[in-house]
Amino acid sequence: MTPPVMLASRLAWRQLTHQPARLASAVAGVVFACLLVFMQLGFHDALFDSATSTARAIRGDIIIFSRQSETTSRTSGLPRARLMQALADPDVARVTPVYLGQVIWKNPETAVRRSIMVLGADPDSGIFALEGVSAAAERLRQRDTLLFDAQSRPEYGPIGERLARGATTVEVANRTTEVVGLFRLGASFAADGNLLTSDVNFHRLVRDRTPDMVDVGAVFLKAGADVNAVQSRLAGLLPDDIRVMPRDAFIASERAYWANSAAIGFIFLFGVAMGLVVGFVIVYQILFTDVATHLSEYATLKAMGYTDRYLLAVVFSEALMLAALGFVPGLALSWWLFGISAEATFLPMLLRPDMAASVFALIFAMCAASGAVAVRKLRDANPADMF
Amino acid sequence: MTHAIEIKGLGHWFGTGELRRQILFDVDLTIAPGEIVILTGPSGSGKTTLLTLIGALRAVEQGSLTLFGRELHGASDNDRIAVRRRIGFIFQQHNLLGFLTARQNVEMALELDPAIDATERRNLATAMLAAVGLGERLDHPPAKLSGGQKQRVAVARALVGNPALVLADEPTASLDKVTGHEVATLIERLARERGASILLVTHDPRILGIADRIVAMEDGRIVDAAEHRHS
Ligand SMILES: Nc1ncnc2c1ncn2[C@@H]1O[C@H](COP(=O)(O)OP(=O)(O)OP(=O)(O)O)[C@@H](O)[C@H]1O
Ligand SMILES: [Mg+2]
Repeated sequence: MTPPVMLASRLAWRQLTHQPARLASAVAGVVFACLLVFMQLGFHDALFDSATSTARAIRGDIIIFSRQSETTSRTSGLPRARLMQALADPDVARVTPVYLGQVIWKNPETAVRRSIMVLGADPDSGIFALEGVSAAAERLRQRDTLLFDAQSRPEYGPIGERLARGATTVEVANRTTEVVGLFRLGASFAADGNLLTSDVNFHRLVRDRTPDMVDVGAVFLKAGADVNAVQSRLAGLLPDDIRVMPRDAFIASERAYWANSAAIGFIFLFGVAMGLVVGFVIVYQILFTDVATHLSEYATLKAMGYTDRYLLAVVFSEALMLAALGFVPGLALSWWLFGISAEATFLPMLLRPDMAASVFALIFAMCAASGAVAVRKLRDANPADMF
Repeated sequence: MTHAIEIKGLGHWFGTGELRRQILFDVDLTIAPGEIVILTGPSGSGKTTLLTLIGALRAVEQGSLTLFGRELHGASDNDRIAVRRRIGFIFQQHNLLGFLTARQNVEMALELDPAIDATERRNLATAMLAAVGLGERLDHPPAKLSGGQKQRVAVARALVGNPALVLADEPTASLDKVTGHEVATLIERLARERGASILLVTHDPRILGIADRIVAMEDGRIVDAAEHRHS
């Protein structure tokens, strides 16, 4: 004995596959909706990931910064002495000052000048959660040396290629400096490119800043210390114009800054909604025509003793089959487009499993909603009007 | 159960408020198991309305309508759906599902019965289509069948579940005279083999001969029910 749901979905499948061209156009609609949603979410996440990339590059258990700093791309300094006060707490192992600034970089090939972000910290502190940085510590301690972000925008010049040729000299902030290696951080809203150097070299490049004004302080705790307990102790210890946050909260606040201040989140949500609306309309059209053109057949089934629920199951099965049929190629196409977009924009376009899962849920909901609206037409299938 | 259908004092209205109009007046009608009754009468006399009431497609408003011993006056929607499963319906249009083959269409009538498994459904549908002369066209979609063949598939679909009652409303109206007669005699033969009662509405004088009894309607009333009784 076959359960009625199986029979209903088999009927749905037969109806869907009866006209392959129509099925193809319905599936294409769902694929298109998938693509739109994936791309919007992809750019959204990529922009926010890149916006928080600087924050995420900084290690530490607790981050200290000025209350006036809304984002790492525009910081107000805090006195280094305040940072050192944190060492008074018995659970604090060490404290590292991080300096952030913008300098002018001259493209070594075209001589075009462009602003670039520079990060500075004690090379031995292991403060940067970035590959290749600790290995370069020795060289960064030399005068006027720096690392170049290989994921900077190409406008800064083909630095990687030049390094391979041994051409390492560049002009930064009107100083002749040497690129001693590469790291990977990525372009963001605030910075088209990044440099990384020692605290000493940072102050050679950024003249208007003194070492006793720090941008961000990273606090490392002793093993087994309770982050939240130390955080509240430090917050009590330090004056009110200084913020003390666990690292996760710091990254979240950086993300929130861009999400709220730039209306960017809304733009992408709008894009996602448009994708879903387009998909909804296409699927609805298909399902509605299926019901509308087969009203007398559906009414006949009702006369034969089929229940409304059975017919609802048929239409919903169709909707969900379209969702599944469209999602798979939609996912594959998006995967491919993510790669292309990442190359074009230098943004970290990542199609993560959790994103795929939420898109699947959205597409599923979209198709189910189309089904729910289309089945209202089933009410018009009145078997009493059949004779 | 002495009667397949027993109707007493049935009345029916259409419309609401000012437009409310009585269509059926005090209808009495009894049909015995296995009896074949043809219902005739002028257009608008209420034949189809009566048929939809008997077919449990509409709720009974006034009077008593008993089908296989079950009172339909006051029956719930679910009760009416259950009753419909024991009736074979044949419409003026074949109303076959275009995306199913002839056999799949016939099987639709059996899928409602959980006691019948897939193999049995297939066998019954195949046998039924052979019985209506379409044994060679089992896997044809309706689009590849002639009008008469489609109506035969519809007949097979109506009868494959061994209904106790077959309700047909002008089943030959969309067919030419010869084909119409063939389909009518086919309905008669299959129903008699199975002992099913038939109530068939028609304007077609050529098929009156299949009936045990002819009932005429006029202005929502049954007139001279016994007059055309065949021997
Ligand atoms: N759904 C409805 N709503 C309102 N009035 C209806 C409805 N169905 C039928 N009627 C009216 O009821 C009357 C009887 O209609 P019915 O269809 O039963 O006649 P009939 O005998 O089957 O006619 P025909 O031979 O033309 O099919 C007609 O006057 C018709 O206009
Ligand atoms: Mg009629």
